[in-house]
Amino acid sequence: MKGNVIMEQNTKISSNQFMILVMLFTIGSAILFIPSGQAHYAKQNAWIATILGVVGGLCFIRLYIGIGNLYPHMNLMQLNEKLLGKWVGKSLSLVFLLFLFLTGPASAMFFVGNFITSQIMPSTPVPSIHILFTIVIIMGVYLGLETIGRSAEIMIPWFIFLFMIMVIFVSPQIKWDAVQPILDKGIHPILLPAVSLLSVCTFPLIILLMIFPSCISNSVQAPKAFYTGYLLGGGVLIIIVVLCILILGPGITARSLYPSYTLVKKIDVGDFLQRIEAVMAIMWFISLYFRLTLYCYAIAIGIAQVFNLKEHRPLLLPMGMLLALYSLIVYPSTAYEQTWDTRTWIPYTISIGVFYPLLLLGAAIFRKRSQSS
Amino acid sequence: MVPIIGILASALLIAMIEIPNLLKKNLKREFWLFSILLLIGTVGSILKSLNVNLPNPFDFLTAVYKPFSDFLFGFLE
Repeated sequence: MKGNVIMEQNTKISSNQFMILVMLFTIGSAILFIPSGQAHYAKQNAWIATILGVVGGLCFIRLYIGIGNLYPHMNLMQLNEKLLGKWVGKSLSLVFLLFLFLTGPASAMFFVGNFITSQIMPSTPVPSIHILFTIVIIMGVYLGLETIGRSAEIMIPWFIFLFMIMVIFVSPQIKWDAVQPILDKGIHPILLPAVSLLSVCTFPLIILLMIFPSCISNSVQAPKAFYTGYLLGGGVLIIIVVLCILILGPGITARSLYPSYTLVKKIDVGDFLQRIEAVMAIMWFISLYFRLTLYCYAIAIGIAQVFNLKEHRPLLLPMGMLLALYSLIVYPSTAYEQTWDTRTWIPYTISIGVFYPLLLLGAAIFRKRSQSS
Repeated sequence: MVPIIGILASALLIAMIEIPNLLKKNLKREFWLFSILLLIGTVGSILKSLNVNLPNPFDFLTAVYKPFSDFLFGFLE
């Protein structure tokens, strides 16, 4: 394990930057489509499902922090090798990274293209949008984690500013009776949306163990930053879902493809400030950009680790090419995407976000026991 | 024809950016992995631009996770 990815071990970001990255990663592409799925299954109780999902996710954050702190100087791929043995660990890492590359960044990229072509620029070909967005992402990853962290610090005030504007300007249209009746069909219908929220926002956070806690300069504050970032991101999603239910109502929220975008179209201040949704879309691009960049960074570092490479940068440009290619292949249609996102994405993320860390934890406990006896 | 020229040009550009650096530092393993990924990317993109149906990895995942998915949704729905 010596000598590989030495350079990356020296890159450090502050716990504050890590918090912002966790927040943006949690919001990611979820901000676009989460209200729709939540309202589809839970109707007017979607907000309860979202709160349940975000709060329930804290247990899994605790689990990831526990895994990260087992060997604080190692990243996830090194942990695999350490705990499961060299060859089993390496093959597991490779399968994990390969499928994560296809399911994580490639599908998030699909949402970028689909969102822009269906809402803002209908006659622009999708591949051109994917290629342009990929170039920006690969540029960010090429410059390294420190640059990503600093740029997140610069971007977050803009994100918060736009988010506040949205909340303030749509709030006069709130219709409070839209939430009633509360829990009319009991707790069962809100379980699936809560799990769906976990699968989009919480389980993919496992990939951040590639930088947590080994790349964070202040390791004492790192767990707190993880929790805070997650809760801030979850809070943004809860507010979005609540506003969608209160303003659009569960029916329109469930039917529209990107309900939060429909929501900002409703902004109307004194018949004067209207149709500012294209400015608001900047918010989406910031969160999607950081989710994609972190995915790509973590996967590139992981692959370099598995193959004992000294540098991960040479892999980035071909990876970008594959990303632009696969983002066009993975979802042939929106109907396919919606079926896949519930039927396969949820079980898949449960396997990487629940079973896989539990496997690592079990292996660690077994190792520590056999060492002490 | 135009997409193929574009793909080949970008592949060439990527190779021109990375290969001199890789050879200078004598990073053999990086060189091989880089070349394999670039080759897959270029060939795949050309096939895609010719509208060839490439295998979708998501179909594979759907098949693998079918039993677990059925179990889970039997419980959740």
